Amino acid sequence: MNKPIMDDTTGHDTGTLALAIRNLDFWYGSNHALKDISLDFPARQVTGMIGPSGCGKSTLLRILNRMYDLYPGQRATGEVLFDGRNILSPSLDVNVLRSRIGMVFQKPTPFPMSIYDNIAFGVRLHERLSRTDMDQRVEGVLRRVALWNEVKDRLGASAAALSGGQQQRLCIARTIATRPEIILLDEPTSALDPISTARIEELLDELKQEFSIAIVTHNLQQAARCADRVAFFYMGELVEVDTADKMFTAPHAKRTQDYITGRFG
Amino acid sequence: MMESPSTITARDGVAMDTNTRGWFGDLVFGVLARLAGWFILLVMAGIIIVLVSGGWRAFSAFGPGFITSTAWNPISDHFGAATSIFGTLVTTLIALVFAVPFAFGVAFWLVEMAPPALARFIETAVQLLAAVPSIIFGMWGFFIVVPFMAHYIEPVATHYLGHVPGMGLLFRGAPYGTGLLTGGLILAIMITPFICSVMTDVFVSIPAVLKESAFGLGATRWEVMRDVVLPWSRQAVMGGIMLGTGRALGETMAVTFVIGNSNRLGWSLFAPGNTIASLIALEFPESSAGSLKLSALLALGAILMIISFITLACSRIFLQRGVSN
Repeated sequence: MNKPIMDDTTGHDTGTLALAIRNLDFWYGSNHALKDISLDFPARQVTGMIGPSGCGKSTLLRILNRMYDLYPGQRATGEVLFDGRNILSPSLDVNVLRSRIGMVFQKPTPFPMSIYDNIAFGVRLHERLSRTDMDQRVEGVLRRVALWNEVKDRLGASAAALSGGQQQRLCIARTIATRPEIILLDEPTSALDPISTARIEELLDELKQEFSIAIVTHNLQQAARCADRVAFFYMGELVEVDTADKMFTAPHAKRTQDYITGRFG
Repeated sequence: MMESPSTITARDGVAMDTNTRGWFGDLVFGVLARLAGWFILLVMAGIIIVLVSGGWRAFSAFGPGFITSTAWNPISDHFGAATSIFGTLVTTLIALVFAVPFAFGVAFWLVEMAPPALARFIETAVQLLAAVPSIIFGMWGFFIVVPFMAHYIEPVATHYLGHVPGMGLLFRGAPYGTGLLTGGLILAIMITPFICSVMTDVFVSIPAVLKESAFGLGATRWEVMRDVVLPWSRQAVMGGIMLGTGRALGETMAVTFVIGNSNRLGWSLFAPGNTIASLIALEFPESSAGSLKLSALLALGAILMIISFITLACSRIFLQRGVSN
C-alpha cells in the first residue's frame, strides 16, 4: 500500500520512506515552536517521538495531517514530503490528505453515533460502498483491532457505552477504515489502564505490517517496547534520532541521556 | 505584614461547645434568604390564582367551547379563544421557520468560520439585538417592515406562490402588510438572538478533540457540523429553540403593532389576525370590572400561561439532558 516517495530534490534515498520532513519550522503566532526539523519516517515501521512536555512532539504530529490548519495564527515552513508532494502546499486537498494520514488522539473520541456508524462515517466521506461492502469493511477493521467479538452483537449501540480501552480501539479501527498509509498516534494510551495499554501496544505491532506509524508518547518504556526508531525532541529541536535499541542504551547527546535516565522531564 | 512560617503554631484548646461568634448575622441572613425563596412561590401562586379565578366565569359560561369558538363579540357577550390561539401558534411557527435556520447560520459562521475579532464583534451585536425593547421592534416593524411587506414581499409572493395548488392558499389575499406573516417575521428577528446564543455556546463547548477526530478522517467543516457537532449538541439546541419558542408565544407589543388585530381565522398568512397576547393588550383597557369580557381575557391569559409553561418545561428538560450528555 505504501508507495515510495519521490524525493529527488534532496538527494536522499527515500525509496523506503513513508514520509520525510525537511527543514521544518513551525510557529504558534510569534512562538517558534519547532526549529529546523528534518526527520524520516521509514515505511512500515513505528517511529516514536519522545521528549518533555512542550518540546514540540505533538505539534510535529499535528503538522503531518495539517491539523494546525484549523487554527488561525499557526503556520509551518519547510517541506513535508509524502507521496511525492509537499503536504504543506496550500493547493493540497487536506481532506484527502487526512484520509491517507490518519490520526488517533490522547483520549478516545467516539462520535455521538453507533459503533457501526463510527467506522462507516470516515469511509463514507471518501468512498461509496454498497451495504455489503461496508459491512465487510466494518467487520474487517473491528477484527483487526480485536474488538469484533466484543461488539458484534451490538453494532447499533452507542459507542459511548464502550469502555475506555474499547473506545480507543474503536478509534484506531475508525482510522484504519479509511485505509490510510500512515497512522499518527498522539499519546494513545495516556488515558488508559495498563491492560488496555498492553492491548493497544500489541495492536501497533500488528498494524505496522501494513501501515507506517508515528507515535508520540510520554512513556519511555512504551517507546522502547513499540518503536523501531525513536526521535528525541527538546525545546522545539530534534536532538537525536536513532533505533530504539541504541537510543535507550547508548544515546549520543547528553540531553538525551539525561532525559531517558529520568534526570528531567 | 507576612508572618514568618516559624511563628505559626497550633491553637490549642479552643472551646467548641458554644456558638460564640456570628450567630446573629447567620440568623438574619438565613431568614431573609428563606423569605426570598418562598416569595417567588407566593408570586407564582398569586398569578395563577388571579388568572384561574378571574377566568372561571368565562370557562364556566362557555365550557370547553371557549377553546374552539372563534367568536369575539363584546356586544352579544360571546367570546372564544380559537382565533387568538391559532394566531399565537401560527406566528410562533412562522418565527421558528425563519429564526432557526438563520440562528444556526449565524452560530455556525461565528464558531467555525469568522475571524475571531469579527466573531466577537458580531456576538456582541447579537446580544444587543436581544436587548432591544420589544416596543422598538413594534415601531420599526410598523414603519419599515409593514410597508415593505405590503409593497414588495406580499404582491410578489401572491404572484409566484398564490397559484401553487394547496400551498397557494397561504399566500393569497390583499397585501395589507400587517398580518400573521409580518408578525411571525418580527418575532423571528426577536427570538433569533436567544436561539443563536444558545447554539453558539453549545457549539463552542464541544471538545476540540472530538471535532479534530472528525477532521482527522478528512471531513469538511459542514460534515463535521452535520454528523458530529449537531448530534452531540442536539438536546441543547432543542432547548435553545424551545427557549425562543417560549418568548415568541408571549411576545406582546411588537406583535400588536404589526399583526393587524382582527379576530379572523383563515388560511392566508397575509390576513390580519391576532394572538392571545395582542388581544389581551388591546382589549384589556376596554373591559369593565366584573364583565364577562374581562373574565374571558383572564381565561386567555391562563391558556397562554399553560402553553408557555409546557414549552419552558420542555426547554429545561432538553437543556439539562444536553448538558449531562
